[in-house]
Amino acid sequence: MAEVEDSTKDSGRVQGEGLDTQQYDPLQNPLTEGLSVNDDDFEEEDLRSPGADSNMSNASQTALAGSIKLEDQEEETEEEDQDMETRDLFVTVDDPEKHSGSMGSAYVTYRVVTKTTRGAFDNPEYLVRRRYQDFLWLRNKLEETQPTHLIPPLPEKHSLRRFDHFSPEFLKTRQKALNKFLTRIADHPVLSFNSAFQIFLTAKAWELTAHKKQGPGIFSRMGDSVRNVAATYMLKGRSPEYTMMGEYVGTFSEKLGTINRVSERIIKENQEYINELGEYSPVFSLWSNSEIELAETMTCMANCIEKCQEAVQELNDEQEQYFLPPVREYLLYADSIKSVLKKRDSIQVEYELSQEESSKRKNEREQVKISDPSYSISSITGKRPDEIKEQKMAKLERAIEETLSAWEEVIQHLQKENAECANDTEAKDAE
Amino acid sequence: MAADHDDTFVPDLLPERNGGQRRDLSQYFGRASLLNSVEICVSEPEKRSILSSVGIKDTYTVYLVETRIKETSSKGIVDAPTSLWRRYSEFELLRNYLVVTHPAIVVPPLPEKRGIIQWQEFKTTDNFDPDFIERRRVGLENFMLRIASHPQLSQDKIFHAFLQQEDNWKESVYETGFQAKSDSRLKNLNASFRLKKPDRQFEEVRNYGTDLQTNISNLLKIRNKLADRLYGIHKIHGNYGRVFSEWSGIEKKMGDGLQSAGHYMDVYASSIDGLLEEEEQYADQLKEYLFYADALRSVCRKQEVLQYELERQEENLSHKVKQKEELQTGQASGFSFKGVTKLFKTETPESKEAKLKQLEESITEAEEEVKKSQEEVTVFVDHALKDIERFRKQKVRDLREIFINYAILQIKMAKKGVAVWSNAKECFQKM
Repeated sequence: MAEVEDSTKDSGRVQGEGLDTQQYDPLQNPLTEGLSVNDDDFEEEDLRSPGADSNMSNASQTALAGSIKLEDQEEETEEEDQDMETRDLFVTVDDPEKHSGSMGSAYVTYRVVTKTTRGAFDNPEYLVRRRYQDFLWLRNKLEETQPTHLIPPLPEKHSLRRFDHFSPEFLKTRQKALNKFLTRIADHPVLSFNSAFQIFLTAKAWELTAHKKQGPGIFSRMGDSVRNVAATYMLKGRSPEYTMMGEYVGTFSEKLGTINRVSERIIKENQEYINELGEYSPVFSLWSNSEIELAETMTCMANCIEKCQEAVQELNDEQEQYFLPPVREYLLYADSIKSVLKKRDSIQVEYELSQEESSKRKNEREQVKISDPSYSISSITGKRPDEIKEQKMAKLERAIEETLSAWEEVIQHLQKENAECANDTEAKDAE
Repeated sequence: MAADHDDTFVPDLLPERNGGQRRDLSQYFGRASLLNSVEICVSEPEKRSILSSVGIKDTYTVYLVETRIKETSSKGIVDAPTSLWRRYSEFELLRNYLVVTHPAIVVPPLPEKRGIIQWQEFKTTDNFDPDFIERRRVGLENFMLRIASHPQLSQDKIFHAFLQQEDNWKESVYETGFQAKSDSRLKNLNASFRLKKPDRQFEEVRNYGTDLQTNISNLLKIRNKLADRLYGIHKIHGNYGRVFSEWSGIEKKMGDGLQSAGHYMDVYASSIDGLLEEEEQYADQLKEYLFYADALRSVCRKQEVLQYELERQEENLSHKVKQKEELQTGQASGFSFKGVTKLFKTETPESKEAKLKQLEESITEAEEEVKKSQEEVTVFVDHALKDIERFRKQKVRDLREIFINYAILQIKMAKKGVAVWSNAKECFQKM
C-alpha cells in the first residue's frame, strides 16, 4: 500500500501561469500556484516574506513600507491583467445590502457578478444576489461532492467582537472574504467545474431554494464523520508521510489557535486601555481650570492624551481587521486539511477491509476448488450446486477484482490530491 | 520677614534612587536657605527591633540622617558634620511641631504613612517591603531638603536639633510645650462655624486647595489603572513569545524567523517592568503635592480660626458697649426683658455707677483683646499670603518639571516599543 508518488503533482494543471511573475498573492490563488509548483519554485516562495511585501513590485514595496495589507487593489488588477488570457471565469462579490426578512429578522445579501466564456454557461454574464447562508450551502455541497479536494474556508458565521452584524466594517470584511472564497473556487481547475458552483452563480432565487432542499440530510453527514473518527483507530498501516502531515497540521493549528486567542485577548485589553485613556484626558482639562500659569500645560497634556487614545484605537482596529482574519482563515484551512486526511484514512480502511474480504474469498475459492473434484465424483446432485458455486466464485472474483481496481484508482487519485494538499500547505507556510 | 525664593533657579526635582549620589539641588538654594552651607541626606534604611514594655518585639525601620558642612559655611548654624538615626515617627513629630509653631507656613508634607494609592493592587502594603522603604526614604530626604530650603523653617532650632541632637531630641520637642498650643486651636477646628466676613483671598486659596487635591487624586487613580492595564498587555505579549518559539520547532524554513521574533516578544514583555517603576517616581512626586494641598487647606483653616476669634471678640466688645449705653441712658432700645425688669427694679445711683465702672473696665479689656486679635490676624494673613505665594511659585516650577519628565518617559516607552516591533518585523521579513 505504500504508493508514494511525488511526481504526480503536475496533473490537472489548467492554467499556464508560471512563477516567473514575482507578483502573486498566495492568498488570492493558492491552489493554482500550489499545483504548478515543483521543488525549486518552492524555495523561491518560502524565502519571500509573508504579507504584502512579497507581493509588491519593488516600487510599491517602498510605498507600503510599514503596513501589511494583504489585499490591495493594485495587485489584483495587475494579476487580472496577466490572467486575462488564461482565465475564463471571473467572479466578484460586492454591494452588501440589508433586508428585513419575515418575522422581523434582518439579513444581508451581496451581489455576485459572473463573467465567463465557458460553454457550460448559457450566458456570458450573470448577476445574482446571495446571502451568507447560500455561501454556506455551496461550501457544504462542494465538500460532499469533492471530498478529496481542499475547499477554501468561509469567513465566520458570527463575529466575536463588538462588530454587530450590520456595521459597515463587518460587512466590508465579510464581503472581502466572500470574494476571495469565490475567486479561489473559480480559479480552481476542478472545483470551478462543479455543478453546484454553477448553480450558485447562475440560479434565480427560486431555483436555488429548490436545489438547496435536495441536499442529503444531517444524518448522512453525521455518518460520514462517525466513519472518519472510527477510521483513525482501525487503521493498520499508514504511510509515514501522511502521519507526518497529520502531526504537522495538528501542531500548526494548535499554535495558530493559541495565536488567535492571544491576539483576541490583546485586542480586548487594548480596548479597555483605550477607554481608560478616555478618562485620563478630562482630568487634565479639569485641572487646567484651576491653574493660571499651568493652564496651558494642562490643556496640552489633555490634547496629547486624546491623540494617544486615537492612535491606539487605530492600531487596535487595524489589528482586528488585517491581522486576525488571515490567522482565522488558516485555522479553517488547517481544519479542512485535517478532515481530508481523515477521509483519506477512512478510505484506506475500507480498502484494507475489502482487501481482507477479497483474500478471504480467494481462500474460500481455493477451498472450494480443492474440494470440488471429490464432490463431483461422489454425487450428481452435488455437481449443480458446485457449478453454481463456481459461477458464484467466478462472479465474486470478478467483483473483487473490480472493487480492487476501483479502489486502487481512487487511492491513486487521492494520493494525487493529497500531494497537492501538501503543496498547498507549504505554499501557505510561505505566507 | 520671610524672604522670597529667587526665581532664577534651574529646577531639577528628579529624586535619585541612590541616596548617596549627589544631585543638582540648585532649586533649593535661596538667600536664607540652610542648604547654602550644609548638605543633608537621608540614606541607609535599617531594621531595628526593641522589646516594648509589654514584652512584644517591636520592629521598625530607621534612616540615617547625615549632615555635612560645605566649605562655604559662614553662619555656623550647624557646627559639625553629624549623622544620626531617625525613625518615621520622629519625622512625624518634627512636622507636627513645625505645623503648630509656624502656623502661617505651608509646611512640606511627609511621605505617606502606608502605601495608599498603589498601582499593583496585589502588592501588599507591607511597610517592610524594600521598594516601599526606598520610596519612603526618598520622600523623607525630600522633606528634609524642603524644610532646609525654606527661609523661615530652616531657622527653626528644633529642626537644627533634629539634625544634630542625637539624645533626647524628643524630650526637647515636648519641652517647648507646642502641644498645649495646638490643643486649644484644635478644639475650634473641629467646630463648624460661620464667619461673618470670611476673607475672600483665603476662601479662594482653600477652594484651590480642594480642587488641587481632587485633581491630583483623580489623576493618580487613573494613572494606576492605566499602569495596571499596560502591564497586563505587555505580559500577554510574552505568550506570543512562547507560541512562536514552540511553533518554530515544527517549521523548517520559517523556524529561525519565528524563533527570533519570539525572542523580541519576550523583550517587549519584560521591558514594561523598568518603565513602570520609573513612572512610579513621577506618581510619588505628584503625591507630594497632593499632601501639600492638605497643608495649604490647613493654613486656611487656621486663618479662619483666628478670624473667628477676632469676630467673637468684636462681638463681645460691641455687646459690652451696648450694655454700657443702655445703662447710661437708662433707656432700653426697644422692648427687652431688661427693660421690663427695670420697671420693677429701682436702680440706685451708686450701683449704677459701680456697674458702669465695671463695664468700662471690661470694655477696655475687650478692646485690648480685639486689638490683639486684629493684630494676630493681620500678622498671620500677611505671613500666610507671602508663604502661599512662595508655595505657588514652587508648585508651578515643580509641576512643570514633573510633567516634562513624564512626557520624556512616555516618549522613551514609545521608542522602545517601536524598536522592538521593528526588530520583530525584520525577523518576520526574513522568514
